[in-house]
Amino acid sequence: MHRRTFAALISALLLGSALTACGSDDDGGGTTGDNSGVTLTMLMGVNNIYPEQQRAWFTEVSSKFQKETGATVRFETFASANDELTKIQTSVVAGQGPDVYALGTTFTPTAYATGAFVELQQDDWDKVGGRDRFLPATLGISGPDEQHQVGIPFASRPFVMAYNKDLLTAAGIDKPADSWDGLRDQAKQLTKDGKYGLAIGYADGFDPWKFIWAMTTQAGSPLVKDGKATLDSPNTKLAYQSYLGWLATDKVVDPAAVGWKNAQAIAAFGEGKAAFLPMVSASSKVTLDKSAVAGKYAYAVMPTIPPGATALPAGGVPATSILSGDNVVVAKYSKHKDLALALVKQLTSEESQTSYYKTFGELPTNQAAAKALGSDPALAAIVDSAGKSVNTPFTGAWGQVQLALTNVVVQSIPDLSAGKVDDGKLTGLLGQAQSTAQGALDKAK
Amino acid sequence: MSERRRPATRQGRPLWMFLPGGVLTLLVIVVPLAVALYISLLDLDQYSIREWVGADFIAFDNYVEAVRDSHLVHAIGISLGYSALVSLACVPLGLAAAIATQDRFRGRGLVRSILLIPYVLPAFVVGSTWRIIFQPDGIANRVLGTDGLWLNGPRSFWALVLVQLWSGWPLVYLLAAAGLQSVDASVHEAAALDGAGWWAKLRYVVLPQLRGPVSLALVISFLHNVNSFTLPFVLFGVPSPVDVEVLPVLTYVESFQNFEFGLSVAMAVISLVLVAIPMAVYLRAVRLDTGRERGSR
Repeated sequence: MHRRTFAALISALLLGSALTACGSDDDGGGTTGDNSGVTLTMLMGVNNIYPEQQRAWFTEVSSKFQKETGATVRFETFASANDELTKIQTSVVAGQGPDVYALGTTFTPTAYATGAFVELQQDDWDKVGGRDRFLPATLGISGPDEQHQVGIPFASRPFVMAYNKDLLTAAGIDKPADSWDGLRDQAKQLTKDGKYGLAIGYADGFDPWKFIWAMTTQAGSPLVKDGKATLDSPNTKLAYQSYLGWLATDKVVDPAAVGWKNAQAIAAFGEGKAAFLPMVSASSKVTLDKSAVAGKYAYAVMPTIPPGATALPAGGVPATSILSGDNVVVAKYSKHKDLALALVKQLTSEESQTSYYKTFGELPTNQAAAKALGSDPALAAIVDSAGKSVNTPFTGAWGQVQLALTNVVVQSIPDLSAGKVDDGKLTGLLGQAQSTAQGALDKAK
Repeated sequence: MSERRRPATRQGRPLWMFLPGGVLTLLVIVVPLAVALYISLLDLDQYSIREWVGADFIAFDNYVEAVRDSHLVHAIGISLGYSALVSLACVPLGLAAAIATQDRFRGRGLVRSILLIPYVLPAFVVGSTWRIIFQPDGIANRVLGTDGLWLNGPRSFWALVLVQLWSGWPLVYLLAAAGLQSVDASVHEAAALDGAGWWAKLRYVVLPQLRGPVSLALVISFLHNVNSFTLPFVLFGVPSPVDVEVLPVLTYVESFQNFEFGLSVAMAVISLVLVAIPMAVYLRAVRLDTGRERGSR
């Protein structure tokens, strides 16, 4: 892998020296005048669920854009996070590459840290149709503060919890609990006859930290505040104990879940083998509607009262989800900044956002489009969660903090499988995670 | 034997003919290597990637951090340990298969092709398949009558050894089979006339002939395992369980997840030095091989 970074840097070096001379003295990037022959490039992730539709969508966007501005859009796709990062790094170093990028929200702080993307001024926000066209929560991870935002919300993927209506009714539970302890008790009640209360992917490389983040945010002791990490706080430990305890000591999760990724947890829920499936997004709907639980499940927001409490404690934030989805950013080196903003305006209009949702199941960030969707009972909880999502800390060090949090789960799995949450070991792991996280935060500039 | 006794040919050498190759070597190997060495001395991260030439020069701090504050030493131990184990275990398997398929029999071609399948399968496919086999409720536990984890905890190390062995041993087989082909039939005949049994034939005729190809296979396999990224990455994911935290995966995480490019290149340089040792042995072995052949004819 190191060779690849390295090759990227080398090619960038060579390209860079060749390109510095070119400068950015093009058409000034105006949207008026003759833009025929101008091609904008946009980079986004390849959609593996709907590849055909995505190709059609590319053509549609480009021809619509051509009608309005005379310029066309060429789409480049990346197949993995690895590709995405390589592409971004190369372009950033070379000062050449796509004009517009669609990035995952948690990557926005890192992208901001590179200083390679346009910070939107009032004027720029006007060009994309104004800040107030977006759901306010979706702007939470666009930049460190309102004056320094690079990310324009494009799609929203808030997390919710799916539950099996039949299993809950049979157990006499009328609705999912609003506290994590309550959820655990319901899960205990529902664990019987080879079925489990909760389906959790403990071996997932992405999701475990989100539980810890939600629980500590709700407890009023955020993991990172003002450049200080508190991964070794009692609340963090309690969050891990609850999350790991579901399998180890409460026995409300299938023991095989120590090896599950998210997809396997969704599959178990889809087979009707679990009553609750926390931490899923609307993208699970495609799978679940084809499964044995089709028509028998619903979505609800996840508990917002932290473990060990019956009401939200002082300072606690009732976060239903991390702020999750996609942002678009415009590269500073783009010679067609105004055209790029015009493209973003087109992509975030009510009409495009509604059609994008219908094709790909990604929730709109456009306020009007989201509002219209909120009336659909199947999606009400998801739209509700979108509005109550809370942003993760806006720091370039977040990636490392996140990884340190996940690592605690990874290294606890052998114990978990032996049916215990070893207090001493957990404390040790949290101490390591704390020093990694603080080290990264100290380096953040 | 010795090259020093032939100064005449050396004098007449048109050295300029090395120029294209030299330029290519310079561009493809020397320049990137120099840049890598330079980057390993920079505080290069997401904050400085855009103007990477201007990143702070921090001399050997990255190396110090790699050795002192990262899991590098642990990862080197894991990587070298499992690579050596796998490479050694490959030899008897590969040799046995090569010898077993040496004599003509019906369907030999088919058997030979089947034996090569693990080697030609992409590491990604191998990793995904074994990942399923090693699930807590997967086939491995059912067949072995065990329960518990294969993809985390102490057993994960053996899972890595097993899978890497499964996909790597046909290399030894391939080279040994090729080596066997080159054993002259008259040697076998002579041995038979001398009344040698199959063990004596194997011990005194076949195995000595295979020493070259097999030691070559050993070195290649060791280098391949030390550098193997895809298989451990797919099998165990990141962050890695501590028992299978191998060097390439650690380097990947530092650069692509933590954006510590300087640190990660320093790690890469250290691993390059490590790999250079068996590589030197390998190059030497290749030269000695040809030398011996020349001498024996």
